[in-house]
Amino acid sequence: MALPRLRSLQARIALFFVILLITVQAVLVLLVSVSGERIAKDRIAQDLLVGERVFRRLIEQSNRQLGDAARILAADFGFRTAIATRDYGTIVSVLANHGARIDANVVMLADLDRKLLADTLHREQRAAEFPFPDLIALAERDRQASSIVLIDGKPYQVVVVPVLAPVPIAWVAMGFVIDDRVALDLQAVAALHVTFLSERKDSRWTLHASTLPSPLRAALIETGTGGSKPGLGFMNLAGEEYETLAPVLGSGPEGRVVALLQRSLREGLEPFERLRTILLVMTLVSIGMTIAGSVLIARSVSRPVNRLATIARSIRDGDYSLKAEVEGQDEISELAASFNHMLDGISTREQEILRLAYEDTLTTLPNRAMFLDRLKQAVLTARRTSDPVSVMMIDLDRFKVINDSLGHAAGDQVLREVADRLRELLRDSDTVARLGGDEFAVLLPTGTADGVAIVAQRILRTLEVPIMLEGQPVDIGASIGVASFPEHDDEGDSLLRHADVAMYVAKRANSGYAIYDPRYEEGRQTQLSLLSELRRAVENDELSLFYQPKIDLKTGAIRRVEALVRWMHPTRGFVPPIEFIPFAEQTGYIKRVTRWVVEKAVQQAGEWHRERLDIAISVNISTRDLMSNELVDLVAALLQKHAVPAEQLCLEITESGFMEDPARALETLGRLHALGLRLSVDDFGTGYSSLAYLKKLPVQELKIDRSFVMHMVEDEDDATIVRSTIELGHNMGLEVVAEGVEDRAGLEFLKRLGCDQVQGYYISKPLPTQQFVEWLAARRTAEPRPEAASA
Amino acid sequence: MIAARSTLVLALLAGEAGAAAVNAMVTDMTGAAVPEAVIYALPASGKLPSAAPRPAVMDQVNKEFVPFVIPVQLGAPVTFPNKDNIRHHVYSFSPAKTFDLKLYSGKPANPVVFDKPGPVALGCNIHDWMVGFVYVVESPWFAKTAKTGAAKLDLSDGEYDLKVWHPWQRAELPAQRVKVSGAETQASFKLDLNPPPKVVPH
Repeated sequence: MALPRLRSLQARIALFFVILLITVQAVLVLLVSVSGERIAKDRIAQDLLVGERVFRRLIEQSNRQLGDAARILAADFGFRTAIATRDYGTIVSVLANHGARIDANVVMLADLDRKLLADTLHREQRAAEFPFPDLIALAERDRQASSIVLIDGKPYQVVVVPVLAPVPIAWVAMGFVIDDRVALDLQAVAALHVTFLSERKDSRWTLHASTLPSPLRAALIETGTGGSKPGLGFMNLAGEEYETLAPVLGSGPEGRVVALLQRSLREGLEPFERLRTILLVMTLVSIGMTIAGSVLIARSVSRPVNRLATIARSIRDGDYSLKAEVEGQDEISELAASFNHMLDGISTREQEILRLAYEDTLTTLPNRAMFLDRLKQAVLTARRTSDPVSVMMIDLDRFKVINDSLGHAAGDQVLREVADRLRELLRDSDTVARLGGDEFAVLLPTGTADGVAIVAQRILRTLEVPIMLEGQPVDIGASIGVASFPEHDDEGDSLLRHADVAMYVAKRANSGYAIYDPRYEEGRQTQLSLLSELRRAVENDELSLFYQPKIDLKTGAIRRVEALVRWMHPTRGFVPPIEFIPFAEQTGYIKRVTRWVVEKAVQQAGEWHRERLDIAISVNISTRDLMSNELVDLVAALLQKHAVPAEQLCLEITESGFMEDPARALETLGRLHALGLRLSVDDFGTGYSSLAYLKKLPVQELKIDRSFVMHMVEDEDDATIVRSTIELGHNMGLEVVAEGVEDRAGLEFLKRLGCDQVQGYYISKPLPTQQFVEWLAARRTAEPRPEAASA
Repeated sequence: MIAARSTLVLALLAGEAGAAAVNAMVTDMTGAAVPEAVIYALPASGKLPSAAPRPAVMDQVNKEFVPFVIPVQLGAPVTFPNKDNIRHHVYSFSPAKTFDLKLYSGKPANPVVFDKPGPVALGCNIHDWMVGFVYVVESPWFAKTAKTGAAKLDLSDGEYDLKVWHPWQRAELPAQRVKVSGAETQASFKLDLNPPPKVVPH
């Protein structure tokens, strides 16, 4: 098994328990060792003290026996008689005889002056001093005295008693030599090592008897002063520690005798050593078991956890194929089961999220994100293969109208139908996507721009087929922009943008489809810079109003003019309205322009009114202006400010303008009408407004679009439209104005049809204020007739 | 050890016809009266009268010598009658007189004659605790103190050395010289005693 890393769970669990175990066991072993040694020492000390008492008791006992024997000897009449006779020979033989009776090793006799009378050890020595006068002194008091003394360098247990007749007449001393036998007897009783040592006056130690084996005796002698200290102590003999007690047994003229009571510390510690060994073995065994157990338990946890970690990693990498194994009923298995549920959940949700992220929910076509993704991939592939890739932007032409007039459900149905048709038409290798709103895009991985033109035409054709909504056929057209790689750009994003630009061009040109041309971008760039310049133009009064007169066909009088905005750019010169008005409408800046125009027009109307020129001014209002109340408030305020009668101001609204939000437009128009303004429907005939709606409008004037007027003389259809419109207008009680009159024939034609007012280059082009006023003055003085006249 | 010192005070009585009594008092070092002490006088001239010594008796009653001490004049015969109904074996190993009276009862046949001056310790070989003393003096003038510690000597006029002896004395006291001339004389002795351990009779 490989050594587990410390960071792993199982290693940490095992380590914790092992450390815990070792700590506990170490404390235990330490306790056993420390207290064991202390207990052993105390125990030995106790044994030694008890041993000493036993030892002394034994000596006393032996003294008593010896004393008894001595007394018996001393009381012997014959003995006393011998002493009384001072018969030395007899005395010595009596002493020897009586000593032999009790196995005494020495018998001495001293007179009352403490002079030796006889000594069995030294028979020839006479009249010497008795060597133990202190013992006699003790015996005088106690009738008996005993001690352990040195005689000729050997220790003897000696007892002294008086010889009574009946008062003391002499002292008899009897002694036993102390040898190994005595030591062994004591050891048998006290269970201690016993050694008898003597220290002579010259401090030399001699060992006399011992239960120790010979080598230890030698060691003991080497330690020299081993027995010199009374009390408990320790002594090291041949590397082994002995606890020692050294009672002094007695002293005499030759020196003192010491008994050494000893017990080996090792003997005392033996049970504790055994206990420690058992503990050590137990520790090792339990450490092994702990490690094994911890590893097993930890593995049962960490293995499935590692497995789960592996699965989690594969989930991170997007692989949902692995499953956690669920075994048993424990917490880990519950975790594994939950893990699997989580995995399923994540997988399902991811698919759903992916679907939502890359699919248009309404049409189930790919969405913009997916389209861009595929486009990028296609471009990357195309770069390698050098195949062309084309992108189409498709924008439905009349979707907003349908959506607004028939509701969102109808709009959604249209979108779904368009999606279906596109799907059906295109190959599987092509990608059709809905980018948002009524915008669709097609990716043709292998299409050149020319090949794509054919596809675009087919798409246009299929979208020309009316869509059935609630049983009614609805026309829906489309404009398509095309851009191709590598012809137009080498980046997917840019291609899409180019296709968009081309699409707008197609839409504006009403040409169905357009293939991208870099020149489109120039116009676009111009427009962008125009916006900021237009702002400046409004602020710096670069704009000005030109006035185009309208002639009353019945009276030939000029009573009305249309105000038209003109932009004199400081560097570009004259900027035609077609270049900035649609653009201003797109960006919403048109409201600011309208405001400027209305202000100027009302101001001018006020001036002319004061000059009694009696000229009403028409102003073009954009669709956006109808969507708020600002215009109403502005007009009301301006009329009041410049003291202009309301009928002197006419607002022209394009027919399509009403259709954005008919209800709102109607409301705004109602309020404007209430101010007393004159309202006119501009470009009539180009839109789709119904007559029913037209009937509701509070307008007083219809303005026929120039596209009909310009060709009516030659074109029968246009003539019919103009005629019908005039009749329709009159029938609804409205005045009819025709614009775009460029020749006398047109004028005469309209006059015949009963048109009320006309406007056009034939009468006058739009003129600056001063020129218009001069033109008007000249006309009024030159031709005061009510007939219409040439300019 | 208590130093041995004694004081002898003689009360010399002025006797008519040239004789007077000496009253001696013996105490120990604590001042307690010392009975059984022997007081005797030796004439300073050294001339001893040739008086016949009087016999003495040392009884054995209840396994004790009675009296404890008897002073006798040199050459005096002493009998040792046994008043107990058991036998005794009286002996002495003292240098002044060594003898033994083998097991006997009643009165032994012959008295023991003490022919040397000095103390004689008496024992019984059967009863170790029995102890008694015969003190043999050369002078006919001796007495033994009573329980009060007093003793009385009747002496004719003259100069004397007064001496004292007791079995348990540690050392012999020096003689005290007194002059007897008709009047009663007082004398006192202070003895340093060292009695042996009592042995219980059995």
